Amino acid sequence: MRSVGDDARRYAWCRGQAVWIMGPPIAQWAEDVEGAAEAGQDGLVRHGATAIGQECAVMIALVTCKERPLPVASLRAAWALERIRDHELWADCWELVRGAPNDASNEEVLARCRRLVDAVRPLVGDVPDPLTPEGYFPALALARDWLKLLDTVGEEGFLPREWTDGK
Amino acid sequence: MTDRDARQVDLSDRVERYHGVSLAAVMEVIAYLRDPNDSVIAGGSLALGLGNQRSDLDLVVCGESTESSRMPLEHWVDSLRVDVWRRAQRDIDEVFERAEAKLSDDGPFSNAFGDLNEQTDLKLLHRIAFGILLDGPALEPASTRDYHAIARDLVVREYAERMRDLAAVAQLAAAAGDSVGASFNARLAVESALQAAMTARGLPFTGDKWLRERLRQDLPELSSTYAPFAVLPDADEDAGSFVAAAVEACHRLTGRDLSLSAHSGEVMFRNTDLRLMEMGTERFLVSVRHGALWELDDREIEAWRKLEGDDSWRLAALDDDQSSLCYRLHQRGLAALDWARGLPIEELQLEKAVGA
Repeated sequence: MRSVGDDARRYAWCRGQAVWIMGPPIAQWAEDVEGAAEAGQDGLVRHGATAIGQECAVMIALVTCKERPLPVASLRAAWALERIRDHELWADCWELVRGAPNDASNEEVLARCRRLVDAVRPLVGDVPDPLTPEGYFPALALARDWLKLLDTVGEEGFLPREWTDGK
Repeated sequence: MTDRDARQVDLSDRVERYHGVSLAAVMEVIAYLRDPNDSVIAGGSLALGLGNQRSDLDLVVCGESTESSRMPLEHWVDSLRVDVWRRAQRDIDEVFERAEAKLSDDGPFSNAFGDLNEQTDLKLLHRIAFGILLDGPALEPASTRDYHAIARDLVVREYAERMRDLAAVAQLAAAAGDSVGASFNARLAVESALQAAMTARGLPFTGDKWLRERLRQDLPELSSTYAPFAVLPDADEDAGSFVAAAVEACHRLTGRDLSLSAHSGEVMFRNTDLRLMEMGTERFLVSVRHGALWELDDREIEAWRKLEGDDSWRLAALDDDQSSLCYRLHQRGLAALDWARGLPIEELQLEKAVGA
């Protein structure tokens, strides 16, 4: 047996947030970037890539620095990048957050997104893709397990407030 | 063929081409969610002339006795993912009435219709106003104004207020030496200004992610406004000139002077639950709510001492060190940024008049 090394509430909150981000948000952005690259929609490719860069930076910050709370959405990229400045994935996150230059092809941007998500996944743990028929219910079950842990240690859940009416 | 019929044919063609699925098959799969006489409205990118082969189909089922769902119910029809929201007619009426009331009020919106990520109510309003009625009776607004006008004006004002907020944060971040926070918020401010300008011209709202595609497709003359902000300056570079250019671009798009000096009297930071604790020579800011401590250096301590005693701090009354500390607290989610008043549409100068 080994201790997780952190206060239980903080550990559960930070990991729970990261697991949630690796679920629906990352799945949705990845799907957007894949679909946009296939369709030649440069603007959506770049918007989705920026979001993936931000979400990955936030997940790394959550699981490595375990600082909370999260700031408002528009400051999360800056907040996370500041905290992971020495992390080996900082440059990959920043490259996407910054915005892909016009001369980068959609395929290059897509490849960068895939590489970054693949590199972050082991830090957070695998999360089934909730946007597929096979992954939908397993993803819900995993979210439920984390919500139960959060409830047990007395922490607020991670579901969007608009899904829960703020409860 | 009416415009609505043409859009339905286009939607039907795309769903068939991308997934080999008919709209009739979709209706059959979601039939269990409908009561007799419920309306089904297609919204989202596919219904609004955007989207691609990976896009889901967003549907709203609405009726007198329909029980509302806060989160979408997912379905698959072959490879097509169908997200369904159920909404009672009275709930839709309530959102439109709330929108109309907020539009005639001077108070700030403060994410009253969905936050930066979710935008649930903003999207609902536009799905109802600009979506395609697939089946059932057309929805009739209970309010005096039509759905289109309310949905359009709400997005214009929401994004104008976001623009103002983001531009203020960008300038505060630049002054505090946070280059990434400054440039990232500056770019978002320009995007918000473009959303407001685009919606004012009558284009339906499709969320932030489609902004650049929408500009390219429908408003190429505005694409060049965005181009200088698409890529942020280097993380270690001073973001001052980038922020100044963004503030100027927002001014050109909306007629609003967003420089901090123009409205510092309207902006205030609000403390959450921070207080200073001293143990010998060590001094910490404590948040009981977040179970966290932050160490302060001497300069920050001095700035905090001048803030202590009040729960909100008006920007116009802060010196540089206090302002920098307040921004740093905001950047950590420990101080909120509030506005004394909203930004009524009448105070904007957009290319096409709205709110009439």
